[in-house]
Amino acid sequence: MADPYKPRAPFAPWDRRDLPGLFDVEETARRVGNYKWAEMKLFEALGGWVATVPELDVKMRLGTHCYKHAWHAELWHKRLPELREMNPDRLTVPANDAFVAFVEGVTEPEAPGLTIEKLVGVYRVFLPHLVGAYTFHLNATSEITDAPTIRSLKFILQDDMEDWREGEMLIQSLIETPEEVDRAAAHQARLEKLIVAAGGVAGPGSIGRQPASV
Amino acid sequence: MRTFLPVEDLARDDRFVRYTMRERMADKRASARIDAKERSKTSNRITPDRRDGADAARGLMHGILVGEIQALEGAGRTCHDFRVTGIAERGPLATQPIADAAPAAEVPFALKLDMARQAWDEARHVEISVKLAEWMGSDIGSVAENTVLFEAACSTDPVLRLAGVNRALEGLAIDVFTTMKEFGELAQDPYLAFCEDWMLADEVTHVKMGSDWLRSLTANDPARRERALEFQRVVDKMFSFGGTRSDSMDSPIGLARRFRELAGFTDDEVADIAEVSLQALNERKQSIRAARQSSAHSTAGIEPAGFEPAGIEPAETA
Repeated sequence: MADPYKPRAPFAPWDRRDLPGLFDVEETARRVGNYKWAEMKLFEALGGWVATVPELDVKMRLGTHCYKHAWHAELWHKRLPELREMNPDRLTVPANDAFVAFVEGVTEPEAPGLTIEKLVGVYRVFLPHLVGAYTFHLNATSEITDAPTIRSLKFILQDDMEDWREGEMLIQSLIETPEEVDRAAAHQARLEKLIVAAGGVAGPGSIGRQPASV
Repeated sequence: MRTFLPVEDLARDDRFVRYTMRERMADKRASARIDAKERSKTSNRITPDRRDGADAARGLMHGILVGEIQALEGAGRTCHDFRVTGIAERGPLATQPIADAAPAAEVPFALKLDMARQAWDEARHVEISVKLAEWMGSDIGSVAENTVLFEAACSTDPVLRLAGVNRALEGLAIDVFTTMKEFGELAQDPYLAFCEDWMLADEVTHVKMGSDWLRSLTANDPARRERALEFQRVVDKMFSFGGTRSDSMDSPIGLARRFRELAGFTDDEVADIAEVSLQALNERKQSIRAARQSSAHSTAGIEPAGFEPAGIEPAETA
């Protein structure tokens, strides 16, 4: 047996985590507040849509995904006080007004014949942008000081990747004609323009690009 | 998307056929099926030894399926229809009027999280129910859908929704799942008993959520609590479906007292539900007896003298 008193390196050779990160506490809290707001809007919309879609399989998926986004919102809600924001509601805000317009665009479809639009908004625009913002955060933050955020990001990304795939497959199964292809593409393009205007889920710099004004 | 979706706008595919509570209660065929010769002499519970046991269980299973769909929709709508306390609303909800709901238009964030959790649970229950219905030999849409459940989830006051859906409706689900679990055990169908047992666990959780939120949200508002409890009584009586669920052995579905206690019902509350259910059963018996007597009068000379409605026992007391 190895001598337990022999000094060992504090970090094992395979542990390559590093201290530097792009975000300080304040910036992390700002982003986490934006994430929570986005996740809230997402779970509220998915929950509301359940009653409006006639397709039984879609109904069940929306109900399931609704909870996952609620849980993500809860994770961010609990993270905020750990980032020196004792009033989490204060930072539970959209990145900017353009992002509010984007969410309005996503949640606008209600009629039972608009399941394609509902799913395209979430699974071809909102969720991919959320995954982008989370992935950038995961890759850019300090691997040691911000470990709690990283842990949440990994849980959330695992959910989101699964849900993205499920949502995309539902869309593929619903689109049967060239006209429906056009409907999906047109709605996607409309929403994509709105979120580009917002700069992403956390505003300009959501995935590391510099704001256009800089 | 609007807040507060009317029940008429519930989206269904072409397999589903909808009917109202009024139509259900006015359906004479349902009354005519209550016949002492067609069932056990000592009990009207849904059991495998009833001659119509398999059909009754299949019908109940379909009722569970559509009930789960509506419960999923109701929980989802509660996630959507109300603002979150403390969060400055941006976008459509900030300007959208919420009719008649001014004092109740906000809910705590944690309540919405519970409703989202319930939506996931109900989505799973729909999955389970679809598979169980298939296992028991029925097809989706083979029995008409009554949307009274979703109607209870349409209140503009979230406290009334919790009372009507989580306590009354999910309470009924506890009774129904207990009956179906027992049916599965008696029929030696471990698949059915296993699934009902899991769903029962979730329902107890949902009822407890309702009980906890009802108490917490109305802690300083006794008038609102009383309104909610009154609404629950109305829904409880409605969900008794004319005595389909009660302590009486004349009811196909029993009252699952133990699980209701686990779910946060007090002894008095359980006793209250028992009384309301029995009252509904007795009113139903009275109505059937009147209908049969009226029919007997109109066919005087055809029915033997002293005709008594078959299978209808005297009114019971708690």
